Amino acid sequence: MNAAAITLADVTKRFESHVALDRVSFEVAAGSAAVILGPSGCGKTTLLRIISGLEVPDTGHVLLNETTVSDAGRTIVPPHQRRLGFVFQDLALWPHLTVRENLDFVLGSMRLSRGDRSRRAQEALALVRIEQFSARYPHQLSGGEQQRVALARAIVGEPRVLLLDEPLSSLDPELRAELRSELVRLQEALHLTMVYVTHDRDDAAVLAHRVVEMRAGRILAIHGEQNRRQEQA
Amino acid sequence: MWRGQRSRTVVIGVVFAAFLVCCVLPIAYLVVTTLAEGSGAYAALVLDSRQRGLLFNTAFLGIGTALLTTAIGAPLGIALARVPVRRKAVIRLIAAAPALLPPYVVALAWIYLGSSGGLLAALTGQDLFSEWTYSLPAAIFILSLVLYPLPMLATEVAMRRIDGRLEEAALIVAPPHRVLWRITLPLAAPTIVAAALIVFVLAVSEFGVPGLLRVRVYTTEVFTAFAALYDFARAIALAVPLLLASVAVAAAAAALLGDRLVASRRSIGVSPVVFGGWRRPAEVAILLVAATAVALPILILGREALAARSLGAVVTGSVNAIVSSLLLSAVGATLVVAVALWLGYVQARAGRAFRRGFQVVLVALFAVPSTIVGVGLIGLWNRAGPLGALYGTDLMFVLGYLARFVPVAALILAATAQTVSVSQEEAAAVSGTGWLRTIRGIVLPQMRLGIAAAWVIAFVLAFGELGVSILVAPPGEATLPIRIYTIIANTPASHVAALALLQSLVIFTTIAALGAAASVREAK
Repeated sequence: MNAAAITLADVTKRFESHVALDRVSFEVAAGSAAVILGPSGCGKTTLLRIISGLEVPDTGHVLLNETTVSDAGRTIVPPHQRRLGFVFQDLALWPHLTVRENLDFVLGSMRLSRGDRSRRAQEALALVRIEQFSARYPHQLSGGEQQRVALARAIVGEPRVLLLDEPLSSLDPELRAELRSELVRLQEALHLTMVYVTHDRDDAAVLAHRVVEMRAGRILAIHGEQNRRQEQA
Repeated sequence: MWRGQRSRTVVIGVVFAAFLVCCVLPIAYLVVTTLAEGSGAYAALVLDSRQRGLLFNTAFLGIGTALLTTAIGAPLGIALARVPVRRKAVIRLIAAAPALLPPYVVALAWIYLGSSGGLLAALTGQDLFSEWTYSLPAAIFILSLVLYPLPMLATEVAMRRIDGRLEEAALIVAPPHRVLWRITLPLAAPTIVAAALIVFVLAVSEFGVPGLLRVRVYTTEVFTAFAALYDFARAIALAVPLLLASVAVAAAAAALLGDRLVASRRSIGVSPVVFGGWRRPAEVAILLVAATAVALPILILGREALAARSLGAVVTGSVNAIVSSLLLSAVGATLVVAVALWLGYVQARAGRAFRRGFQVVLVALFAVPSTIVGVGLIGLWNRAGPLGALYGTDLMFVLGYLARFVPVAALILAATAQTVSVSQEEAAAVSGTGWLRTIRGIVLPQMRLGIAAAWVIAFVLAFGELGVSILVAPPGEATLPIRIYTIIANTPASHVAALALLQSLVIFTTIAALGAAASVREAK
């Protein structure tokens, strides 16, 4: 097994009196895909937000590639320095920027030449097969195309870890299946460490090397190394 | 839902008729009169170098004020929206307070500070600032101190309405300052630009400040043409270009704002990006600006007023103007709200196309300069026959308040009405309740605080109103603003300062009462 790309150790998070995460610990191996499975309100999204640095754990700590990035009550490495890609549930595409500009914003934070930026943007768009939409604004795209833009934006910075917060939940079953296959292809092609949050067991079966089941802020079970189910045509 | 309801048709019909007569007709009268007179009157104006100077001064006043208010207000709005300042509600109220002071009161204070006989000259023993005090840049500075709360509040609201996830998505890949510049501010930009346009219109519409600082602009020229030269045709000819420019810019601002103007709720409940490290500098900056805009003028007026031999005598000498102002403002505010309530309701419940169009009309009407409204009212009501019966009575003041403040009150009440869900009315309708009873029992109780706020704002605006009042005032009648404005030249400064201070006191007391009512409701 590869070294751990993500480690959560004894992480607790409260929102006033509500305990969103209760002493959660698990690891995700580099280059593998973990799916966090559980019903609404079980703490899945909070878990992703803590890994990304958008929330700080009250206790416990978070390591990325064996470097502590968050410790109880404090951020050690801010989100933008963690080299993450994040696909939000509602995608959060910037509406005032075109598809290409959405990607350029990500690349603008990296010290790259104009040529390199252009090349990387083109490659990301090609990977998710939406090169032809680069000059369009998000509202000019269909739901599936927007999902692909969100995915391109998340991978264009060549992140070490890709976090996905139920990105396919609003899609119809056919498109959902198509994009799931796409995600598997991307994860394997780019050797991405991926954490995917969902309440859908089909998502877990197709995407996961490892399934972490959650209930009420706690981990119920971790299903170890498993073979991914092939998406049915 | 209410199709066929006679009570609804009657109420809305009567209110729209009142709106047309009070707000639209005076302006329409001016435009029609000008068109009837042909273009002869304008030829002289365009070629006249004096008029070109007027145009330059007016444009410079508007653009300068819009830029300076945005430069002051937008960073404060960002701070209120994104920095966790302590006691934010109180700090916001203090920072917004300058907008409630009549601009000429602030101008008076700055005259007492910088003129040849002012505080600075007394302290330094030299007259260093009087030339600057009576200048166009000074007018821009003073108007910016009064109007900066507009871009400040607009920026805060715009930033609060941005979906927090858009910023979070950016924070994953970029530091907070870059997120602010590239994501947050561009998303808030239309609202900030619209606020700047509205400030432009309010600045070019302002009469009191340029009048006191002897800066010649269109509004003062309209007043001079009418009140000093008794040249009504020239007043109209001067008024129409300013009217068209104001209406056009205001309409552009309203169009830019779209539904944001009356939508008051944050749509996405995700925490925005916060700049915790900026708390202390933000608090200091906000309080410093508010102190310069409110505390300093009040202190200067207070110091000047204390020089009066008997403050009691000053108040007694103006008691008629004070009582008259209070009564007229209270009556005016009540009527303004009575009309605006229904207009706001219609605006909130109408279809998108009507809502957008009517919003442009309301903003454009609010932007019409006060002296132009005054000239329009005189032209409309100063005539023989039954229509003329109103002219020469105190009702002209009330008509002036209605013409100027119904549009802004309607926008406030539209935002309030929008917070009451349509489905609540639908539930009442399907259970067989009539429209009027539903409005009385379901809608109005939920709009109470908004109605109170609209009344207080209308009262404060009416209490400080000068531009229309000074033109339509019947012989021998004066409100407090008219009294202050007209006694400046021949009365000791201490008397004028005492009256201006009294005016500020009434305004702040009224606002404090509203603040207390809001706090009680929040506590419940």
